[in-house]
Amino acid sequence: MLSGGMISPQPGAGPVSSAIAISVDALSARYGGNTVLDNVTLEIRRGSSFALLGPNGAGKTTLLNILSTLRRPDGGSARVAGADVVRQQTAARRSLGVVFQDSSLDDRLTAWENLEFHGLVYGMAPRHRRERSETVLALVELEDWRDEIVRSFSGGMRRRLEIARALLHEPQILFLDEPTAGLDAQTRVRIWRYLDELRRTRELTVLTTTHYIEEVEGADTICIIDRGRIIAEGSPEALKAEHGSRWLHLTPRDAAALEAIRAARPDAQLLGAHGLALPADDGASTDAFLTAFRDRLTEVRFQDPTLESVFLSLTGRQLRDRADDRRNADKAAGRRGGRR
Amino acid sequence: MNGVVMALRGLYGVWLREITRATRDRAQLIGGISRPLIWLLILGVGLNPYFRGEVYGEVRFVIPYTYLQFLFPAVIVLNIMYTSIQFAVSVIWDREFGFLREVLVSPMPRWLILLGKVLGGATVATLHGALVLVLARFADVTLSLDQVAVALALMFVLAFGLTSFGVILAARVRSFEGFGVFSNTVILPLYFTSSSIFPLDPALTRAQQAVTYPEWLVFLVQINPITYAVDALRGVLINFNQFTPGWGIGVIVGMAVLFFVVAIIDFARQ
Repeated sequence: MLSGGMISPQPGAGPVSSAIAISVDALSARYGGNTVLDNVTLEIRRGSSFALLGPNGAGKTTLLNILSTLRRPDGGSARVAGADVVRQQTAARRSLGVVFQDSSLDDRLTAWENLEFHGLVYGMAPRHRRERSETVLALVELEDWRDEIVRSFSGGMRRRLEIARALLHEPQILFLDEPTAGLDAQTRVRIWRYLDELRRTRELTVLTTTHYIEEVEGADTICIIDRGRIIAEGSPEALKAEHGSRWLHLTPRDAAALEAIRAARPDAQLLGAHGLALPADDGASTDAFLTAFRDRLTEVRFQDPTLESVFLSLTGRQLRDRADDRRNADKAAGRRGGRR
Repeated sequence: MNGVVMALRGLYGVWLREITRATRDRAQLIGGISRPLIWLLILGVGLNPYFRGEVYGEVRFVIPYTYLQFLFPAVIVLNIMYTSIQFAVSVIWDREFGFLREVLVSPMPRWLILLGKVLGGATVATLHGALVLVLARFADVTLSLDQVAVALALMFVLAFGLTSFGVILAARVRSFEGFGVFSNTVILPLYFTSSSIFPLDPALTRAQQAVTYPEWLVFLVQINPITYAVDALRGVLINFNQFTPGWGIGVIVGMAVLFFVVAIIDFARQ
């Protein structure tokens, strides 16, 4: 288990926790017989941007649910902004802004009414509410839509409104669960720029969970999580340097070729239904392979170390394996159904 | 001090959302208006001539109230029952469409969230009950301001209890479809066995015993708490009680307390 923090966690330590926004200690969670989180320990510095990266069903959302006090852990403890998520729920909630994976807006209210509701529920004074609502609406460029019913909004607009709402009460920590799905590139850049500014000026801590590599390239620290365990943690550059390797992506001509390659190179990883990936750090053996199989391939491409390849070499799987995705999505839906 | 102000803001926010949503829900409003019209103007007016102390063509006793007057308080209760118990749909909606999480991660304590929601639902239900009061003139019921004030207070406490009951149902019903069927199998039987559309004692004099109905029916009426709510409102609005007047108020307050406590326990578990 790797730890990204510089300071080891001390129970109830006051001055230390001021530099640490989130600390998670030996956290575990189970659904029925399945272990969803297995002894997860991590620390997130104030003002940092921390990304939890992992495939669907890796335990990211469960971890966020525990940190946002929606679910109790089955073991271990966690603190957000110094408040224990089980024993000091109100203090913990006050410091959090949360953007959930699925919309949690009231679509029979207008954009403004959704913000007004949020401000009231967080106990904000009328003037403060109004000023903040205008600020965050301007941030996500929804000023012209303030009096429209949310039901008429597109998915991207809802997402933007939701991010605006999470920032309304000026939280110290922002959770973004798969945040930018459905956002266009321009808006994504704008929102990240604003969040970066808040991190500098107000030491806002941003915790993002995602299975999209593109979302985490800008994060300070990336934590790769798979099957409920942390398998690597560090800056994007460090992860690429340490675990990344060059891969050769190739598409065999037919099924027979695919089997032949797998027989010849047991270290080949399946990529989707028809593709293969070979470790290509060793130039000589790669050359030998290409010479031997050049006629049985339709496509060959070298892939420099990326976070995707880091993930591949750590787990032996692609981050977004389609069949896996679907199975996990079903599983996730089953769990949600079970929880209702 | 500051904490109290913040809590009140949260409470107001949750309450206001329920009111805003209710005003945008046309179907609910149409139901709230059409129901009393059907029950009073069609059933009430239609049965009015048959409500007299006549047995086999012979007038046995004099009834001091018309059927419309007798039915009027019960229709108020019916309207409150529908709106309150349908409130469960709002609770299910929050749960299914994710809005619940928005409030659950807020600093508001769960019981306060629930109180705001139930107060909001009870306000809407009371307003729907008050829509019936507007028809008092048609039912030949003359009301003083005092009567209206006391009636509204009773109606609100009743609505509070029934709305909490709706929340309890919502915690046990998983889907909207299931709830539609469920609510009708709860509301109408409760309404019909609450001595709403027929008196336990046909003479309405309190002197005669309830002997003309089969025992099982009398038993159902007597164990139905709605019976006492209807009776309390009759006491206030047309000055007629079938039971000791204090019972009705006791049952209404008792339901409100009991159901709200159970609803809190249910809601805290989510």
